[in-house]
Amino acid sequence: MLNFILRRIVQTLLVILILSYVCFGLMNLMPGDPVEMMISSNPKITAADVERLRSFYGLDQPMYKRYLSWAGDIVQGELGYSRTYRIPVTEMMGPALGHTFILSVASLVFSLIIAIPLGILCALKPNSKVDYVVNLFSFAGISVPSFWLGIVLIIIFAVNFQILPAGGYQTTGMAYETYWAEFLDKGKYLILPILSLSIQSIGRFSRFTRSSMLEAMRNDFIRTARAKGLTAQVVIWKHGFRNALIPLVTIVALSVSSIFSGALITESLFAYPGVGRLLYTSIMGNDFNVAMISFMISVTMVLLMNLAADLLYGVIDPRVSYK
Amino acid sequence: MKNINILLVAVLLLSFSACTKKNKNPEPAPVPVAAATPEPPKLNNSEIKIGMIQEFETFNPLIANMAATSLMSKLVMRYLVTIDADGKWIPQLAKSIPSLESGSAKLVTVAGVKKIEAVWEILDNAVWGDGKPIICDDFAFAIKVASAATVSIAEKEVYTQVEKVTVDPLNPKKCTFLYDKAKWDFYQLGTFAPLPKHLEEKIFNMHGAETAGYEKNSLYVKEPYNVGLYNGPYLIQEIQLGDHVTFVQNPKWFGEPAKIKKIIFKLIPNTGTLEANLRSGTIDMISSMGFELDQALAFEKKVKAEVLPYTVLFQPSTTYEHIDLNLDNHALKDIKVRKALNYSINREELVNSLFEGKQAPAIHNITPKDAWYTDDPAKVTIYKYSPRDAERLLDEAGWKRGPDGIRTKAGKKLSFTLMTTAGNKTRELVQVYLQNGWKQIGIEVNSKNEPARVFFGETTKKRAFDSMALFAWVSSPESSPKSTFLSTNIPNAKNGYSGQNQMGWINKEVDKLCLALDLEFTHEKRIQIVHNILKYYTDEVPVLPLYYRSVMSVIPNQLKGFRLTGHQFPETNEVEKWNLE
Amino acid sequence: METIENNTQKAIPPQPAQRSLSKNQIAELEKVQSLTKIIYAQFKEHKAAVIGAYTIIFFVIVALSAPLLEKVLGVNSENQNVFHRYKAPFSTISAGIDTRETAVRNYIQENPEDAALVQTELLKEEFVASTRPEDALYDWSRYEKRKALAAVRYLDVNNKIKSDLRGIAKKFETFHVFGTDELGRDVLMRLIYGTRVSMGVGILVALSSALIGLLIGAIAGYYGGFIDSLLMRVTDALLSLPTIPVLIVVAAIDLQKLPFVNSIISTGGESILKLVFILCLFSWMPISRLVRGSILTLREREFILASKTLGASDFTIITRHMFPNVIAPLLVSVTLGVGESILFEAALSFLGLGIQPPTPSWGNMLFNAQELIYQAPFLAILPGLLILFVTISFNYVGDGLQDAIDPKTIRR
Repeated sequence: MLNFILRRIVQTLLVILILSYVCFGLMNLMPGDPVEMMISSNPKITAADVERLRSFYGLDQPMYKRYLSWAGDIVQGELGYSRTYRIPVTEMMGPALGHTFILSVASLVFSLIIAIPLGILCALKPNSKVDYVVNLFSFAGISVPSFWLGIVLIIIFAVNFQILPAGGYQTTGMAYETYWAEFLDKGKYLILPILSLSIQSIGRFSRFTRSSMLEAMRNDFIRTARAKGLTAQVVIWKHGFRNALIPLVTIVALSVSSIFSGALITESLFAYPGVGRLLYTSIMGNDFNVAMISFMISVTMVLLMNLAADLLYGVIDPRVSYK
Repeated sequence: MKNINILLVAVLLLSFSACTKKNKNPEPAPVPVAAATPEPPKLNNSEIKIGMIQEFETFNPLIANMAATSLMSKLVMRYLVTIDADGKWIPQLAKSIPSLESGSAKLVTVAGVKKIEAVWEILDNAVWGDGKPIICDDFAFAIKVASAATVSIAEKEVYTQVEKVTVDPLNPKKCTFLYDKAKWDFYQLGTFAPLPKHLEEKIFNMHGAETAGYEKNSLYVKEPYNVGLYNGPYLIQEIQLGDHVTFVQNPKWFGEPAKIKKIIFKLIPNTGTLEANLRSGTIDMISSMGFELDQALAFEKKVKAEVLPYTVLFQPSTTYEHIDLNLDNHALKDIKVRKALNYSINREELVNSLFEGKQAPAIHNITPKDAWYTDDPAKVTIYKYSPRDAERLLDEAGWKRGPDGIRTKAGKKLSFTLMTTAGNKTRELVQVYLQNGWKQIGIEVNSKNEPARVFFGETTKKRAFDSMALFAWVSSPESSPKSTFLSTNIPNAKNGYSGQNQMGWINKEVDKLCLALDLEFTHEKRIQIVHNILKYYTDEVPVLPLYYRSVMSVIPNQLKGFRLTGHQFPETNEVEKWNLE
Repeated sequence: METIENNTQKAIPPQPAQRSLSKNQIAELEKVQSLTKIIYAQFKEHKAAVIGAYTIIFFVIVALSAPLLEKVLGVNSENQNVFHRYKAPFSTISAGIDTRETAVRNYIQENPEDAALVQTELLKEEFVASTRPEDALYDWSRYEKRKALAAVRYLDVNNKIKSDLRGIAKKFETFHVFGTDELGRDVLMRLIYGTRVSMGVGILVALSSALIGLLIGAIAGYYGGFIDSLLMRVTDALLSLPTIPVLIVVAAIDLQKLPFVNSIISTGGESILKLVFILCLFSWMPISRLVRGSILTLREREFILASKTLGASDFTIITRHMFPNVIAPLLVSVTLGVGESILFEAALSFLGLGIQPPTPSWGNMLFNAQELIYQAPFLAILPGLLILFVTISFNYVGDGLQDAIDPKTIRR
């Protein structure tokens, strides 16, 4: 087992390295560099300034040199400076990561709370009216473009009914006396983004729960349990759901990995200062440092979560073993 | 089932309370404690929230160059001189503007080079936020920092144009600036900022030697709430990059007292939700960096129809929307063709139907509020909409109509490609309008759009456009046109594609006039020179003028004292005059 | 023959009336049904999937017959009318000058003598005050449709010419079912052309990524060992990239910087090709995993061993023996993949990086509409609804196929 883990970790590191070079290369192919951005916002910059700034930022060196110097900096723990905001990347990303974390975790938990009971309900009564209705909503959830839904939600709740705010993450400029007041206020701003994000996940999770629960309930041992006279509760939860949980856990683990890559479009729409929006603005603004760090974080998280999901699978299901 | 649900809810609550923590900021001024009730329906001078669409950065006046930062920095930073909303240069930190006539400035010759010397005196009561007086050394220090090779300042020339600062030994607020060249606009130090020497000097001495050392360690980054860094009517209470900035009144402000106690600028990056935020009360007004023209027009209609408590303001600006013609194109070489193109643009109809008259038609690159402007037909050639004249010119030039209506000459069609930035609705509208108009006189124009970064980064910079490029120049009042008119400023591979004469216009007379303009110290004579330049410009039509853009803003009806400026010194320059009661 | 009953269904009681089945009927029942027939029958039982399938067929037909619809409805998807933007649904607007003049010019070219006759008539009756007789028809075209039609009545020309002129006058006004967009173009036709682009891209991407995934999965599964390990690592690596950010980066790349690409792709279809390429790059991974899993299990089966013994080449084994078994779950993946591709394309176009205007696609219509969602909400709601319907349909079809193919639910 240990061997397996070690091997996977080494492979993961290799993958991260290669991916970082590919990402760096891709970003270089994008037209316009940070100096161009400066020029477009300040018409008085002269050609001499442009040259000076270019060599200042090392933009006139070939790509592999810049990549090596960047990689060297990272390894030493210096994550670099954001060229657009002019502060260290860590300062920029810290709060953004925190905000995205709150949003993603809340939305994940919310969708699980709703999806799992729904999925189980459908599995217990397949092809009934309830099943059809829930299925329809699940499919609608998977099929709706999240940004469109966000816009519709804003129109309905923020503009027409005026009960929820249209964006942001807190009432700007407020200082909070108690944690409870802070929770209430920030919670108000989270409702619409969470709704808009979860609808897709609810659809996916409930479909998945339904199908894996159906699979589990089809097994012979369920019939045996029933025949033995166990109550429906015990049969469903202890025997059915436990078995359905296995594939569900892996899916959830994979979803956890997307927590830090952020819901880019939803965050932009709701002006929520999270990592997704930061990534988008840094890519469009050619802010290499921030973009690369965000990429690396996402990639690492996904690979780690994959590994964790595989291991978890082995732990939960005693039939699976790793050489 | 119940157990798991309870467990999950408990986890949710725990994660919320654990993850959220209070923002800590060391504030000198008392902070109003938040009430749990929603904001009052009527606005008052305690707070106003302003929405804007563009990102901002840290507020170091030498390093910052984003337009949004420039908008907000006028609340906390004031300069020697500035341009007011009427387009005139006025002193802000200085007592008065030095000039040759008053004797406070004089021409000198140093080592055979003509230079100019000016005496500047700072207001007696001008102080930084911590009470220390603003002295000439602060400006000298700024020049020192800007000249260092390790600082990534964008507009170096603004600072390096002042070679030497000699402080009056009796009065630390009075000094003489020695400029590196003799030029008439020496007093236009609108972007020349002082740095608080008593705070920043030790940082610069410690870290200035390493590349970007100063800007990474500057107090503007490390301690942005230090009051000594600012000298404007407001101080920064809270700044959160990517989200918002909160400003409170500066108790040490030496000018007209500001009325509004707290101003919050909120970043909302999506134009669609900007309006939603306004209507739902998350913000109270929209700054000049907010709406697009279509949105502003539509919102104005809504305001009238539903009697909303807002006013939509439009103000003509110094942004000149035009079409650069590539003078190397075989058809555009002929001046008759260019004139015909110009005659066949119905600018009145364009601005009336597409912009509802809110943006004015242009006749050349100088905007109407500029002192150098003229629409005198004796001085410049005016092209009134006349398709007949256009057709006559084209016939004379030898372009005859073909069977499909498009003119041809020697087997070639009179066909051009009009390029502009993709995704810009207004420009696409203008493209279609122009295409239709030109088709009627037999000129075929195809559109080809590129994303802005490619368009400006490659196509216009390297003159890679086939015939026409549609975009805008931003300028300030009375600024020299030499970067776009001098024949030495035609970008090509040899000069590293610097220079903005993207038409490829070569006119020796205009070259001479541009260079003479810099050295002309008399206002009236300068106007003469500019009018002569404009005569050549409108005669030879290297550029097709379209219209002057307007800036827009949405303010609540209660807000008084707000004026849009339409140039690079935005409305926040007069923020102390804003009043909500 | 045995019936496999579901636990929760009541057992069907035997029919006392029928004694035994005739020979023909027994033969009929015992005939082996082909797999496709079974699947088809199963599929039809899933009502929602059938509805989905019909919806998709409807959209495909509409998309393919777009030029025909243009003729019938009399509106053009590209015709911009800058003076009538953001008109509400079911509005009639007057056409722009260029449409009118083009119609008149075509008429003059095709019937020069008739046109000359009309011109002299128009001047004689003083309907127009033109300086040159050639301008008469053009000036007539500037009138409102009603006035222009009225003028035709009083002309002293024969009926054929009158009906020609009436045909031209019809073009002076256009009726828009869904109103006009931000440049004055008809929204309905744009949605229809957008169907072509969006669904076309979705299907193309799903099919090509299925092919790529099939290939890679088959090679990895069949050969195993180092190749398998390598390919799977590559798949994992690509899977671990955060999709939307990488899509943004790749979509924003300036293809001009890659010299060899520049010569292949013309600027016209550039954005579509680029989008398809990018989406393909990121959609083949789950399929390859699926195929690899199937092939791994199939590899150990006896019939493969038998083929090998008989001397079949690797290629034959993979294509003739393994693929047919993989097709079923592959089909399910493909249909689900189409839905996903449509959503991705919409997301990218919404960010301004996908299909570039003026080519319409549902995503970039949403992008153009977001500024004025309050003034012209239908512009934003309609494309979103269409995306919703088509994606749901594909998902239902995929679900139906899944149920139909799953051997455990097949009832004989």
